[in-house]
Amino acid sequence: MPIRKLYQSERFLRIIFGASLFAVLCMGGLSYKYIKAHTDSFKMVQHTYEVHLELGNLLSSIKSAETNHRGFLISKDSMFLESFSINRGYIDDKLFTLKDLTSDNPNQQESLQELETKINKRLSLLDESRRIASTNAMETPEFITAFKQGSQLMNSIGFKINEMIAHEKGLLKIRREKSTKSISNAPLVVYYVLILFLTLLLLTYGQISKNLKTLKLKNEQLETFKESTTQTEIISKNGTWIWHIKDNRYEYSDNLYRLLGEAPQSFKATNDNFMAFVHPEDFDKVTEQVDKMMDDEDLPFMYYRIIQKNGTIKHFKAYAKILIDSEGDKRLLGTTSDITDEIENYLLLEEKNLELERNNKELASFNYVASHDLQEPLRKIQTFISRLEEKEYENLSDNGQQYIERIKSASARMRDLIDDLLQYSRTNKSDQVLEVANLNNLLESAKQDLAEIISEKNAVITTEPIPDIKVIPFQIKQLFFNLISNSLKYSRENTVPIIDVSYSKTKANNIPQLKSSKYKLYHTITIEDNGIGFDQSYAENIFVLFNRLHDKSDYSGTGIGLSICEKIVENHNGHIFAEGHLDKGACFTVYLPMV
Amino acid sequence: MQADYTYVVLADDDEDDRLFFTEAFEELKIKTKVETYKDGLALMDALNHSDSILPNILFLDLNMPKKSGLECLIDIKNQEKFKDIAIAIYSTSASEEDIENTFVNGANIYIKKPNDFNNLKKVLSEVVTMNWQYHTSGLNKDNFLLRL
Repeated sequence: MPIRKLYQSERFLRIIFGASLFAVLCMGGLSYKYIKAHTDSFKMVQHTYEVHLELGNLLSSIKSAETNHRGFLISKDSMFLESFSINRGYIDDKLFTLKDLTSDNPNQQESLQELETKINKRLSLLDESRRIASTNAMETPEFITAFKQGSQLMNSIGFKINEMIAHEKGLLKIRREKSTKSISNAPLVVYYVLILFLTLLLLTYGQISKNLKTLKLKNEQLETFKESTTQTEIISKNGTWIWHIKDNRYEYSDNLYRLLGEAPQSFKATNDNFMAFVHPEDFDKVTEQVDKMMDDEDLPFMYYRIIQKNGTIKHFKAYAKILIDSEGDKRLLGTTSDITDEIENYLLLEEKNLELERNNKELASFNYVASHDLQEPLRKIQTFISRLEEKEYENLSDNGQQYIERIKSASARMRDLIDDLLQYSRTNKSDQVLEVANLNNLLESAKQDLAEIISEKNAVITTEPIPDIKVIPFQIKQLFFNLISNSLKYSRENTVPIIDVSYSKTKANNIPQLKSSKYKLYHTITIEDNGIGFDQSYAENIFVLFNRLHDKSDYSGTGIGLSICEKIVENHNGHIFAEGHLDKGACFTVYLPMV
Repeated sequence: MQADYTYVVLADDDEDDRLFFTEAFEELKIKTKVETYKDGLALMDALNHSDSILPNILFLDLNMPKKSGLECLIDIKNQEKFKDIAIAIYSTSASEEDIENTFVNGANIYIKKPNDFNNLKKVLSEVVTMNWQYHTSGLNKDNFLLRL
């Protein structure tokens, strides 16, 4: 929506303002022109009127002069003569005024010139007739001719004056038409421009008030943001600072003061004031970094300690990035965070790790003790018994021989325990590498290791093909070995042991115990037998170390084998579950995640 | 000159084990001369003695005071004059770590001390009558540990 965008932009506002200013200017120009035209037209009318008036006056003065002259001729009273000369003066005045008034019009000037000649002629005719009259020759043809001539001249003067008035009127009419033509549209144009101007102003006002609203909203958001930043700073133990590079001025946020253990804005934010808090051992390092910061106008991560006034040592981490505003002013925007807790936790964790490492070492040395030192005396006991049995058996009583047998079986059991315990403690994940292995081969290999017991018991083992899986191979072999030997061990008397090894793929969702698992699909290997089984209530206990369900004398076993199985499966992020039916059989299900 | 008996030497700090060892050879119908030393230091002193006859087979216990079996092994393998001695590791434990270390350092065979005297006799008889040249040429980590 480019138009809508333009409408909302600041540029649009500027355009509107420009247009409004232009409209006002146009209106001013038009109004000036209009008024000027009116004034001109008024002046023209006045001029015409004046010329008209003056011409009228001239005519009446001439007529008065003629009347006075006639009166003198009849009455011979010098009073008429006096008036006559006054009127003559008037005539000269009017002529002068008219000359002045029509100075811009050569046509009228010419007419005026003609008129003046006629008037002068008339006046000289009057003078002539008065001279004749003074000789009392009023009845002479000379006088009558002059009289008639005067009357004709008078008519011609009147005609000329009327002509001039008509000319002036015609001129006025033409001018009026011209000015009317040019200004008749002016009021309408001004009106339209005014409407346009008002519309533009309204639009601008709408936009400005909208912008103001947005600005207010933004301001509120900014205020909220500022407040939440302040809270965030307190919660996350951060402080911010700004270094105005141009005028080398610092600004610290309230929380930076708190981190230093001071009240907000309690001292002036300067580099020196801050450095006063820095731990003496870190002082040189920080000074160097700050110098570098001033040179590079950048601050990569810096770690140092400060000492609060109450003596508490805090660990700080600082970072800053340059910010250049639209004016080109550079500011370094920094964040300083109190990482004392992190460091302390880290140290604590490190301590715990060391402790754990020590424990592991102890465990390893215990393993060695078990494998070596504990086995040595046992081995000797067993060897000595074998010597005794071989060399001195005949010399012993029946009881003695029985005791020897008991010692033999007890020491054999001791050996089993030690071996299994070692096996269990060696079943670790840490240094074992997972590799893609053929599980069918591993299963076969476990079966071969048990071949003797299998043939002894005539056991039938059926297997299903298992795909290649990423595992710790020797541990999976151990798993098969332990589970199958377990099934063989707990077989029912007088029943051929049948062991079914089957494979399937299972969705984690379908197994209640795996619902919260992070893996979606599982390889499922089931080992089912028709042995003595167990009560389902023991299903979980049988995996617990040294836990046995049966009497030692009935079934040999250390109670470690299934614990090893569970540990192996856990090493593969899998799960093992047991299901038992007393005197019917047991079923062990191993789930290995598909990755 | 090849002697008409096999000269066997054992270094083991355990008195009982030395006893089993010599008794086993006494009962075996193989011509052997058996010598035992109670630690690595005593063994090395005897071997380094200028006019001593070198053993055909040397049995080394690993865990011994003063000088361990592994240290003796490294010492012996570093000296040209001992290159013909077959070295059998003779230890209570058969941990992966011990097997790896002794194999890498040039031992010829690894024997886990048996729990039964008859087994001991079988093992020793096997080792003494072994064709070392054949065994050494095909030696690898899998057949390094003697299994019966």
